[in-house]
Order: sequence, then structure tokens, then C-alpha cells
Amino acid sequence: MNLCSHRAGLPLSRREMLQRSGTGFGAMALQAMLAREARGEAKAPLLPGTAKRVIFLFMHGGPSTVDLFDPKPLLARDNGKPFPLKVPRITSHKSKNLLLKSPWSCAQHGESGAQVSELLPHIASMADDLCFVRSMYGSNSRHGGALLELHTGSDTFTRPSMGSWINYGLGSENENLPGFITINPSGSHGGAGAWSSAFLPAKYSGTRIGGKSGGMKVPFIDNPLQNREKQRKELDLLASFNRDHLAQRGVDSELESRIASYELAFKMQMEVPGVQDVSSEPDYIKKLYGADVDPTKSFGEQCLMARRFSEAGVRFVQLSHRYWDSHGNLKKEHEKLSKEMDKPVAGLISDLKQRGLLDETLVLWGGEFGRTPTAQGNDGRDHNPHGFTMFMAGGGIKPGTVYGSTDDYGYYAEDKPVHFHDLHATILHLMGIDHEEFTYRYAGRDFRLTDVEGKVVHEILA
Amino acid sequence: MVIEINKLIRLIDRILKFSKNIGVFGRIISCLGLLIGPHLGAETDWAYALIENPELPKVDTADWTREEMDFFVLAGIEKRDYLPTKPATKRTLIRRAYLDLHGLPPSTSQIEAFLSDERPDAWGRLIDELLQSPRYGERWARHWLDVARYADTNGMDEDIAHPSAWRYRDYVIRSFNKDKPFDRFIVEQLAGDLLPAKDLVQKREQTVGLGFLSVGPKMLACDDPDKMRRDIVDEQMDTMGRAFLGMTIGCARCHDHKIDPISIKDYYGLAGIFMSTKTLTKYSVVAEFHEHDLTKEEHQKKWLEVRRLEGEQKKKETPKDKKDKLAEEITALKKGLPAPFRVMGVTEYPTQDVKVHLRGDYLTLGEEVPRGVPAIWTEGKKVAMPEKQSGRLELARWIASADNPLTARVIVNRLWRWHFGRGIVPTPDNFGGLGEKPTHPKLLDHLARKFVESGWSVKSMHRLMMNSATYRQSAEAELALVEYDPENKLFARWQRRRVESEVVRDSILMKANRLDLDMGGSMLVVQPNKYVNQGKLTEHSMVPRRTVYLPVYRSSGYDGQKAFDTADPAVSNGNRRTSTVAGQALYLMNSELMHASSKALADFVISKASDNRPAWMIKHVFGRDPTKDESARGITFVESYGDEKAALAAFARVLLSSNEFLYME
Repeated sequence: MNLCSHRAGLPLSRREMLQRSGTGFGAMALQAMLAREARGEAKAPLLPGTAKRVIFLFMHGGPSTVDLFDPKPLLARDNGKPFPLKVPRITSHKSKNLLLKSPWSCAQHGESGAQVSELLPHIASMADDLCFVRSMYGSNSRHGGALLELHTGSDTFTRPSMGSWINYGLGSENENLPGFITINPSGSHGGAGAWSSAFLPAKYSGTRIGGKSGGMKVPFIDNPLQNREKQRKELDLLASFNRDHLAQRGVDSELESRIASYELAFKMQMEVPGVQDVSSEPDYIKKLYGADVDPTKSFGEQCLMARRFSEAGVRFVQLSHRYWDSHGNLKKEHEKLSKEMDKPVAGLISDLKQRGLLDETLVLWGGEFGRTPTAQGNDGRDHNPHGFTMFMAGGGIKPGTVYGSTDDYGYYAEDKPVHFHDLHATILHLMGIDHEEFTYRYAGRDFRLTDVEGKVVHEILA
Repeated sequence: MVIEINKLIRLIDRILKFSKNIGVFGRIISCLGLLIGPHLGAETDWAYALIENPELPKVDTADWTREEMDFFVLAGIEKRDYLPTKPATKRTLIRRAYLDLHGLPPSTSQIEAFLSDERPDAWGRLIDELLQSPRYGERWARHWLDVARYADTNGMDEDIAHPSAWRYRDYVIRSFNKDKPFDRFIVEQLAGDLLPAKDLVQKREQTVGLGFLSVGPKMLACDDPDKMRRDIVDEQMDTMGRAFLGMTIGCARCHDHKIDPISIKDYYGLAGIFMSTKTLTKYSVVAEFHEHDLTKEEHQKKWLEVRRLEGEQKKKETPKDKKDKLAEEITALKKGLPAPFRVMGVTEYPTQDVKVHLRGDYLTLGEEVPRGVPAIWTEGKKVAMPEKQSGRLELARWIASADNPLTARVIVNRLWRWHFGRGIVPTPDNFGGLGEKPTHPKLLDHLARKFVESGWSVKSMHRLMMNSATYRQSAEAELALVEYDPENKLFARWQRRRVESEVVRDSILMKANRLDLDMGGSMLVVQPNKYVNQGKLTEHSMVPRRTVYLPVYRSSGYDGQKAFDTADPAVSNGNRRTSTVAGQALYLMNSELMHASSKALADFVISKASDNRPAWMIKHVFGRDPTKDESARGITFVESYGDEKAALAAFARVLLSSNEFLYME
């Protein structure tokens, strides 16, 4: 991998500068810099950004947004009839392509008149804070490919996740916390590919909390065998050995940096569990998220945890709610999943708002694709990457907006289509990063999150 | 200049983007390509030029040198009016040699034996001895496995197991240990199935090498089988290009390469070779890998019989007593029957030439290109393609030939990078126009020539590089030199650096007296083409075998290992980064591996020393006597900590986490 070649034009790195300036540096400045370097140095954005942080509520499996946010009268009228438009060349399952009307009704909400299903009353009540993009599309009809494309921009090769890109670009806001946390991610359909830094430096990789292997914890964050006092003693002895070692060798910023990294780790140990602990939240907040009772308890707690991490300065927090893949049993499954998800999501957005955090926090909701307006069996829908809805809130997004549309049946993005690349370009723009200028050189090419594509969707910016 | 080129590329990218819809732009682009091509050619000329036999440069202090290669390094240092750094002490050198060649620190007795060996060739003998040990192959195979983006599972969309990939990993270890000529190693990895074999043993060995092409990450649940095949071919070509030629071929899938000399036609000529090669047995959802069955014929027959009987046994209509009888028969047949010998690897497919895919899209095709090796690589000489075979063997032989200046340069530069921490070409995976240029081009040619002359012997290059005065320098350099050359471009000192992820873990296990040196085989328990169970990761990580043997799951790595910058197993990487982050400290402070190891080391010291145990432990871990002050601090720490065993474990953790232990110098 090319080392930090983004600064290939500069003669010396900061670290090298420091090494050159020898002992001239003030001890305080040195410590501060080392600590920052150890955790991820914040780099100045290229543009004034509106969003500082992202919370991505990922709906794994592909929610049927034609049922949830994009109602189509023709679908009800032509229920059971063949889909009259051309079917995509590639589909994930063979189908007779007969239209299936929605089992639920949608109604207009708020001043924007956004359509929201009866399944999501809490989200509906927030309509005027949300921006619905009803013309999303991707290029891959399978979970893994679509999931990776949504997270990394590529369904073909291993590329850094958007959370890694954003952390690489902006650095950490809080040195005692990881900059990119993914809570309870799926191990399948791309697994670590969805939060991996790929060719970016490993420290920009997402930190997984929960998921298949391991509890709901940052890896190695606590030490059940040792109390803090004893550990402190141990670290003091370690520091004394390390300082002697360094003294015999003169100046070496890397050795110094490692000494500092233990102090940072010690502080992280103190801070992370506290930030993560949702039990200290007052009851009315837990209620707001539905974190007090089933069936909203589990996802409600995760949303609450996301807010706490985000509030403490984690740049990119991702939650995963699953499993929306209703090839059959659509009615029962979507009702259950909606119930689990609706109140926590609405709770999160209103909580961010009441804390004055929503303006600088971009909340993104969506799956790797939507579902077809045509039926699989008599109670199911297939994957549909060709036209579906995602919604956003806060972070400089224009509230109370409905943008773009699908065709009369909800199969294809038709008016003002927005590809995942465009979504990425827009998110980076909100963070103050020009997606065309933001590159990393790896193996002979300057890579971008948006590859050679992507247009910022200016119409949805506040 | 760099920035200018980038702007130009971005401009072209933008035009290309629109050219999808507007055909006429396509022609403008090819014109641009013509304009830019020759201009940029100069940037990469050095890489494609024939390998020179450079004269040794004149130097003032020739008595510093030990090998011819030192003249090239010294000339560079003297030119800037600096001096090389003094040689490292023998104690430092033996530790360096062990960590470098074995990825494990030396034991106290090994250190003492070397220190008391006063023969003038003691160092050379040590290197020879280390190269004879199987620990060497385990260490250096890991370097190559990074380049080969080795993994035991597919990753990407469907994390299906590669149940026989471990044979490829063991093959790489074996190849390094046997000092298999590198040209042979290349050919086996690209076309081992097409080489003549005198017996089954040789057939197996050669075929296993094909894992190189097969273990790449693939989108296995792709609804479009044609796209899937082309993506797999693209990944294979790109990895091959980076690994052996230091070039990026993938860009030319969509357009003439703007920086490196490969055109879109060249790409599809090569692609024809790989499209005539089969990697999967089916390309529909969910796809399955091709495996060669190289079971002995007599055993194969028995296995077929076993499968037949098992089939019968499973049938509903088979009566119970018949089933029992069948079970007995199966057990009897299986008794003493070795497991089938299956090898993950590509095989031949009906040959085909491929049409140029405009903008990389196979739905818009251009002219057909005959299979072949790009003319620019072969100086216009045509590499003939067989009619009835894919041409992989011809391609492999051409890549592995001494007429090809890139291959030898790329591999010696890789070896140099792994020894010295920085390549002569600082971008070992990229010798192209966007890579960096060599700091010592003549040194590179000198080494490449020596390498070919040695019969592509990797071990001979280790001897050469490690015997040099350059290698034996100390890390403790004059401040003025460090200030002048912070990145050590001159190689005028040893670059102190943190040991790699695997070395961290293996060294800790070894000093804790826990390391299990069992070699080879697989820890995966899976069926072919079945999903892996990620819950097993923690279990795997607790097995105290060398890290190279832990299964590599692409969808989920070992948190502790990842923290220390293991390469992403989905992308070829011959130049790992070294970061310093708090996650590493957390791992050393709190992981189960560390707790189990520090406890084991405490038990070990208790069994070995009856008094001044901290001092014994310092000597054991650091390989040197403790200072008085260190011993005193150790004793005070242990006494004030409480329970002695817990105290010794805590003290062990301190030593095993210390910079002295984790840095190679």
C-alpha cells in the first residue's frame, strides 16, 4: 500500500517534522499531537460542512418501500395483472411478474404531504423533519452486492466503507473514542466489507460492537481480571521501562507515540463503557425511544446508544435492523419489523432535535434495495434495486421534502433518479468534502468513494 | 507534475463518464490517449528497460563494504556527504536476524551461543542455520500470502469456505523452505495444472500452486453469470499484474491505461487467456469453486463406492436391516482410507478470444482480440498461443522468464522491502507511472541480475542482503543524518520498526512457553461451498499455533490481529503499513491471549528460577541482562502488587507489551 501518498507532494510529514525538530517542541504540544495521531488526526474540511456526524440506520434485507413510503394507486387498481412495463434483464428470482397491491394504506403527513404507511405512525409524525428520496437506485439485485455497493460504492471489488472514508477525511472528534462504530452488524452479505477500511489505513476501519462473535462491547475495552488501580500501577511500570528504552535511543517519535497510546487506551477504557451505558438515561428518554418495553426495547436501546456515541463525538455510527427480506410472509414480517423500528427511529430523531444536535447530525435511513411491486407467491416481494426510498434528516438536509419519484407502479426510479454514488457525493458534501477531490492513492490509482461517478443532489440541501 | 496528471485523469474520467451516452467522445478519448501515452511513457521507461549490468560506483570508503551491493548504497550516502551508521552489536544483530527470518525472537541460549562464536564467519553461519529451519518458511510465506491476498473464505457477498485453500498456504511455506526457484514458483501458481508431471506427488505439488488464482474474493451471488465471470477474470489479472509485474492491469478494462503502457486491446488479449480458464464449476447463484480431485486412483475408486453406498443408505425405501448392513460396509471401506485429496484451483475451459468491452461493458462489444501477451511487454516479440489450451502456461513462462525485466525487479524489490522496511522502489506493488521511482535504480538492477544468475534463488538473496554492511548497520544513527533523511531513503541506518501483527502474537506465545510448533493442515471444520461459522473465530485465536495457520476469514478478521495492521486479505498488498493506535494497547492490556500468556510466563519463571524472578524474566524476554535498576524496580513492583503469581503475571505483561520487545532494531 502506498503510504499516505495523498501528501506525496509535501517534503515532510508532521511526524517527520517533529522528529527533525528534535527536543525543541514543547512537551504539551508534543503530547497533544501524539495523542491525536494515535487516534486519528482531524483534517480540515475542504468546504464549510453542515454535518459533523452521521448516524446510519441500516435496514438489512431490503424493506418494501413501495409499501412504506411510495404508494401507487395503479398497483391497487391492477392487482394480479401482469406488470405492463419491461422487466429488468437481471432479477434475483424468476417470477410471473404479477402486480401485488399493498396490504396497507398510506396517508399524507405534515406540511410536505409526504406519504407514510400506517405501519409507521411515529415516523409519520416526524414527516416535516424528514427528506424522502423516492428515486433511489443501485446496480445489484443480490443482498451482498447491493449491501457492499451501498456501503462502499462498489459491488465488484473490495473498497473502503463510507464510514472509513469520512473518518479518514475528517479525523476524530473525540480521541478517547473510535471514530466509526457499527453496532450489531451482519456477518453475512459482505460482513466486515461493510465497515472495512480496505486500502485506507487500518485505523479508519469501523469498530464492531455486537454482531455474531463477541458481546456488545468495543474489543478489549475491559479487563475483568484486574482492578483499575493495579492496572495503573502496571502501566506506570511499563511507561518507566519504555522511557528508559527511549532515552537510550534519543529521539524517536514512533516510540513516543506508542508510550502515549497506552495512556490513550487507559482513558478509552474509562470513557467508552460510560458512553455506551444507556441504563443511566432517564425514564422519559427511554420511553421516547421505546427502550423500555418490547418489541421496541432492543432496537430502542441501540438507537439510544447511537445517540450517546454520536453526542460524544463518534463521526459515523451505524445501526443494523433486520431482516426485511420478505420474499414470503410479507404482511406478517413487515408488520413485526415496522413495529420494532418505528418508535426508536422517530425517538432518535426527536431526541437529537430537542438537544439541538439534529442540525449537525445527518440521520440516514434505508436498506440495500427496496422490493418489487410484483408478487412472489401471493404474499411476498422480490429484491428491487431499480427504484426505492431512503430518508434523511438533519445535518443540512432540507426538512419536509419529497424528492424524485418512481414509475406508476413503483418499479423504476423515474424522475430525478439518485444512485448510491449520488447519495455518497451528497453525504460527503454535507460533511464539507468535495467527493471529486477527495482521493486516496492505492496501487497506482487515486481512488474515490464515488469512483468516477456521483452528483451532489443540491435540491435536497437546506 | 503529479497534480497535473491527476487533473488530467479526472478530466478524462469525466469525459469517459459522458462518453457512455455519446459515442463520438469515445474517439476523442482514444486521441487523448495517443497524446498522453508517449508523454507519460517516460515515467515508466526504467521499469520496462532491459536489466543493466551496472558497474560498481566509485566510493571513498570501500573498506566499509562487504557485498557488491554495498557500493551502490554507499555511493548514495557519500554523495550527500554523510557516513553510514556504525554496525549494530552482535546482540542486536542476532535478534534482528531471528525476527526477520523466523518472525520469532531468539532464546537466551541461542543468543549466548552466537555471542561466544568468534569465528569470522559466525554471522554467515547464523544466517545459513536460520534459513535451514522450517520457521523460516512460515515467516516468509506470510509475506507472500499478503501479496496473494490469501484467505480461507471468500468474503465479499457470500462468505463461503475455501476448504482446501490451506493446501496452497502450506505449499507457499514449503516452497520458501525448499528454496523453490522463484521462476518455477510463478509458473506453478499460474499454470501448475498444465505442467508435465512424472508422478502423482509432483502433479499435486504443481496443482496446489493454482490456489493463487482461485482464492481471490468473488461476488458469488451474482444474478448475472456473464458479469460474474468477467469480474473474476479481472480480479485474477489484476492480482497477477500487481504480484509479479508491479502493474495495474485492471484500469485497462474500460479504457486504454492512461499511465501505464497497457491498452484496452492488450487487456482483452490477456482476458481471453483467463476466459479460457475455469475458476468456478457453476456461475449461477450461489456459485461453487472448482477443485481438482488428486486422490490416488485406488482410493478414488473406494471413495466412489463409499458415496454410492451412502446414497443408497439415505434412500427412504431402503429397509432398516439393509441400512445397518450398508453402514457396516461403509465403515469397513473407510477404514484406513485416506481422505480425498482435493485442491482448489482453476482448470481449462474451451478456448475463446474475447471482444473488446467498450467502457468495460460486455453488452457493448467492439472488435475481437486474439489471446496473447501485450506486445509492449515482449518488445514486440509474439508469444505464440496454443489453439487447444488457454495460453496460461505460455503467459506464465513469459512472466517468469529472464527476458522480462519487470518480474525480477519486482521480486527483488519485494524481498528488499521485507528486509529493510522500505523498498528501493518505495511502492512495491506499483512500478507504474503513479508509483514512486527507485531511489537506487542501479542497485535494483544489480540485485535483479544477481537473482536471475542465482537461478531465482530467494535464499541466496537473503544471504546477499543480510551479509551486506548495509543490513548490519545500527538503528542508532547520528541526529544530523536522521534530520536530513527522516524516511531513510539512503539506507544509511537500520530502520527501527514495530514487528508485524503475526510476529507480535507468535513472539508472545513463544516467550510464554506456549507456542505450538505443529506445522500445516487446516483448522477449518467446514464442507465445500458451505458458509463458515464466525463464532469459531475466538476459538481459533486461542489455539497457540503460529498465526500463519489460523484460518483467514475475509468477512471478519481477528480483532487483535487487525489492530496491528494485518493486510486486508481481499486485496494484494506487499507493503503493509505500521500504525500506532490505542487499539493495540488495549489488546496488549486486556486480551485473553495476553492474560493466558502472562500467566503461563509467570508459571514458567516460577519453575525455572527460585529467586530474583523479575531479573530472570527480563533476560528471558529481552535477551539481555537486566540493569540493577530494572531488577530493583521489578522486585519492588512484585512485592507491592500482592499475590506473587498475579504479580509476576502483571510483570510479564509489562515486558511483553514493552517497546523493547515489540520493536525490531
